[in-house]
Amino acid sequence: MPPELVPLALQLLNALAFSMLLFQLAAGLSLIFGLLRFVNLAHGAFYMLGGYLGLALAQASGSFWLALAGVPVGVGLAGLGLEVVLLRPLYRRPHLEQVLLTFGLAFVLGDVVRLLWGGEVRSVAPPPELAGAAFLPGLGVGYPRYRLFVIASGLVLAGLFWLLQARTRLGAIVRAGVQDPEMVAALGIDVGRLFTAVFAFGVGLAAYSGVIAAPYQSLQLGMDFEALLLALIVVVIGGLGTLRGAFFGALLVGTADTFGKAAFPDYSLLVISALMAAVLISRPAGLFGRSLG
Amino acid sequence: MPVNVDPALPSRSVASLSRRGFLRALAATGAWAVGGSLLAACQPAAPPPAAPAAPTTAAAAQPTSAPATSAPAAQATAAPAPQPTRAPTTVATVAPAAAKPASTGPLKLGVLLPFSQVYAQLGADILDGMNLYFEGIGNKAGGRDVQIVKEDEGVDPAPAVQKVRKLIEQDQVELFTGIVSTPIAYGARDLLHNAKVISVISNAGGNDLTRGRKSPYIFRVSFSAWQVAYPLGEWEAKNLTKKVVITAADYGFGRESAAAFKQSYEQNGGTVLKEIYPKFPNNDYAPNLPEIQAANPEATYNFYSGSDAVNFVKQYNDFGLKKTIKLTGSGFLLEEDVLPAQGEAALGGISSLHWAKTLDNPENTQFVASWRAKYKREPSVFAMQGFDAARVIVEALNKVSGNTADKDALVKAMEGVKFSSPRGAFEFDPATHNVINPIYLREVRLVDGKPGNVVTATLGTIKDPGA
Amino acid sequence: MTAVLAPTARRPGGARRWLVGAGWLALALLPFLGLPPFVISSATQVLIYAMVAMSLDLLLGYTGLTSLGHAGFFGAGAYAAGLCALRFSAELPLTMLAALAVALACGLLVGALTVRAQGMQFLMLTLAFSQMLFAIAFKWTWLTGGANGLAGIPRPSLLGLSLADARAYYLATLAACALTALVLRTVVRSPFGQALVGIRENEARMQALGYPTWRYKWAAFGLAAALAGLAGAFLAGFNGFVAPSDLDWTTSGLLLIMAVLGGAGTLVGPALGAAIVLLLQTWLGSLPGLGERWPMVMGLVFMAFVIAGRGGAGGVPRRPVAWGAVLGLARRLSGR
Repeated sequence: MPPELVPLALQLLNALAFSMLLFQLAAGLSLIFGLLRFVNLAHGAFYMLGGYLGLALAQASGSFWLALAGVPVGVGLAGLGLEVVLLRPLYRRPHLEQVLLTFGLAFVLGDVVRLLWGGEVRSVAPPPELAGAAFLPGLGVGYPRYRLFVIASGLVLAGLFWLLQARTRLGAIVRAGVQDPEMVAALGIDVGRLFTAVFAFGVGLAAYSGVIAAPYQSLQLGMDFEALLLALIVVVIGGLGTLRGAFFGALLVGTADTFGKAAFPDYSLLVISALMAAVLISRPAGLFGRSLG
Repeated sequence: MPVNVDPALPSRSVASLSRRGFLRALAATGAWAVGGSLLAACQPAAPPPAAPAAPTTAAAAQPTSAPATSAPAAQATAAPAPQPTRAPTTVATVAPAAAKPASTGPLKLGVLLPFSQVYAQLGADILDGMNLYFEGIGNKAGGRDVQIVKEDEGVDPAPAVQKVRKLIEQDQVELFTGIVSTPIAYGARDLLHNAKVISVISNAGGNDLTRGRKSPYIFRVSFSAWQVAYPLGEWEAKNLTKKVVITAADYGFGRESAAAFKQSYEQNGGTVLKEIYPKFPNNDYAPNLPEIQAANPEATYNFYSGSDAVNFVKQYNDFGLKKTIKLTGSGFLLEEDVLPAQGEAALGGISSLHWAKTLDNPENTQFVASWRAKYKREPSVFAMQGFDAARVIVEALNKVSGNTADKDALVKAMEGVKFSSPRGAFEFDPATHNVINPIYLREVRLVDGKPGNVVTATLGTIKDPGA
Repeated sequence: MTAVLAPTARRPGGARRWLVGAGWLALALLPFLGLPPFVISSATQVLIYAMVAMSLDLLLGYTGLTSLGHAGFFGAGAYAAGLCALRFSAELPLTMLAALAVALACGLLVGALTVRAQGMQFLMLTLAFSQMLFAIAFKWTWLTGGANGLAGIPRPSLLGLSLADARAYYLATLAACALTALVLRTVVRSPFGQALVGIRENEARMQALGYPTWRYKWAAFGLAAALAGLAGAFLAGFNGFVAPSDLDWTTSGLLLIMAVLGGAGTLVGPALGAAIVLLLQTWLGSLPGLGERWPMVMGLVFMAFVIAGRGGAGGVPRRPVAWGAVLGLARRLSGR
């Protein structure tokens, strides 16, 4: 590759890595909104919790992979419990109330993390297999292996979700539930259990993205609301409730952010906000969303 | 106006004020507002604040009953300070805290430090440093027991300044210390200055706090951004390379550090190839790294702190820049609070700061040892600053026998405080009330098997220019 | 199936009027009770946020627009007033005017771009625009002081007389708060206000009836923004500085919490909510032991309020526990 193009290639890789990170972060939020019809404002808190738990488990067991597998399951189960106890009683009420409840939950979870882990900045080392730089053919310079892993993870997950959604019965039920929950209930499917399962899955996914992001970035207090904001932006740009929206929204935001940071390093916040405003004004339902009644 | 055909909508006559009624109400409110304000503004100065325990009222200009004082000197100055007349400036005044004779009983020390959110660790370190010193000398300053009243600075200025107001007006602290964040220091400056509460700032490093916004009552024991960054510029130009790229977090402190470095670097013949200011805070510096590489410098000067520093140093290493472009920066880039998280990615990094954990002098050796014994963790520069802040308070109060009512005497006493600190010689610049700092050159090497800062040179004793 | 009317559509009950009147009287007399200055300062702060919360209620409770960007106008007004006081004149009417003008302009501009959106989209759009305002406040150091904020703002003066005394400033703020309440109350009781409620209940039906709902929403948005900016003027004078975080989306979130906690759709409710949240923030944080866990307590309290509150049909919980309890007590006291 001609040396002038190397910086561009690097940036494209950076954009892809960040986009996949965003996708994995936002997918759970989009899923929960799609079926349960409210925005889980505790999403960032679950992400942060996942990251810190991943740190703890990786340190305790010595294996990053164990943390990556175990933490989402654990947090997902916790989400299951929370849904049954706190959210189910509120389903008959307007959706804003569920949103507000998760807002309060976000504060509580954030403080739990502070209580357990304190204020220090923490870092998780990538597993030895993924440490260091890989030399990609043609590129001439190394690119961190861990970022390549993040890209792979995102693509694999995207593929898995699409398969699940398009080819399995569960996927069909979820899609139907997104379209018309009353009909699904009328068909005899336990919508309550479906909601619980989807919430738990969405929360587990948030935790998974937290573990994945931990070696990529560092862990510190305040990362929950930062992540929430990003996830909201991605999901709204892409279209609430659709997987395709989360994926392409993440690609758009990730690329805009990466190139925005490179071109106008100090204005990147403005770039993202302006992008979101532009998309929403021209297509209020997001790129792939369906306009909600 | 569309005709109201929908029976569910109320008709026009329900509970709407007529235009005349509205205007009448408006006039009444306005008259009462203006009258009330004028009335209040014309009244004599507000009665002295109630005793701290319960919100009882106190008659004006009455000395609050003080327990029998031990020293006659204290008695003489125990008469309440005259009620301040309306302040000459229009900046908000605070009801006089000086009305209470403050020379006996426990010394109320107001502490504002972050205990939650992003700077929580710094707050914990500073407070622990203070407590370490106080306990070491029996918790007495000027013969009085030290009583700490602490509030959480958080990260947003508005609630933090309200807490300062509470410390001054409600808790009636006699001295104030703390503040990690520079914007909060700027926000609280007028409050502290107008209330004449002598303040010992233990972190906030914005240059202006001891320049344009300095106050006779505000002292800083930590550093100014300029002080820490300036000496490194000269050293790098003379000893490292003449081609550097500067990157710094895009906020006040980051920009001030970069500017100070650039100033001395260019003065000594260096060339700054590029300046990049990524947003603050930031998780991902990867988009900026190719630009650094493209400029082809031999070293970079960087300012980041906290998690930004962790992210930057790790990513700098991940992308292989560290191998070909020397990593240098302000001490906060590579300080004890972030080194554990940075790990080996920090090795070889060069920085300048007014302290290093491995600094070899008797006070520091003892400080580090007693810190480790008490807290079972490693100290940071913030811990040292808290330690020094406590010592400054104690030494100044010892000189005035614990009398905080005579502000001028206390200010003079504090200006003259000199001692051997873990950082080296400690003294204030009387013109600015900023500490005069020895600045050290440090390199990150393996110390006892873990990355730590080793002092490789002394860059001089640096006084902030104050203008 | 008739639509559920907003409480304000009916003539307010006697108990409520009595209570509100007593409240205003108590507030007016507060500075003359010899209370410590910090209490007066806290009360002033509560009044300022009560003003913003009430203006947000116009959008949230009456028009059904949930805005996550309201702090943007609050902060814009604060910056405008601060700049006016610093560079031009510290006369209160002028700083108020500057704040009103700037906030109204921002509100009308942002409103034009956002009010056509629905629900979640509207929420995110208001968030986006307030973040843009935040970015401007952060970046334009020459104007706003950047990250360090605008400091050293002098206390406003009224007709030459300084309002530096805490009690004088309190009274000025109270007057502005009363004015805001009066304006909002008038608007809400007027046909315009009724139309807003109708839009909240069922916008399609209002459109079918011939109302240009877009314009109504836009007007409400502009008014709410202007009133928030007015409150911002008092914030700037109170604190003596303005920081970018005053515009932040987390501040907008706090405003929403205040409005919902107190009871959206009642005007008085959000004012009450502001008092609760601020008093919790200031006084809870000082308690030993508990103070450190302030976010957790706040979160739990908020969750409790949401769960306990009885939801209204308009999608916003109205009269949750706090207000309901107070009203119930008032009714019992007045013998109804």
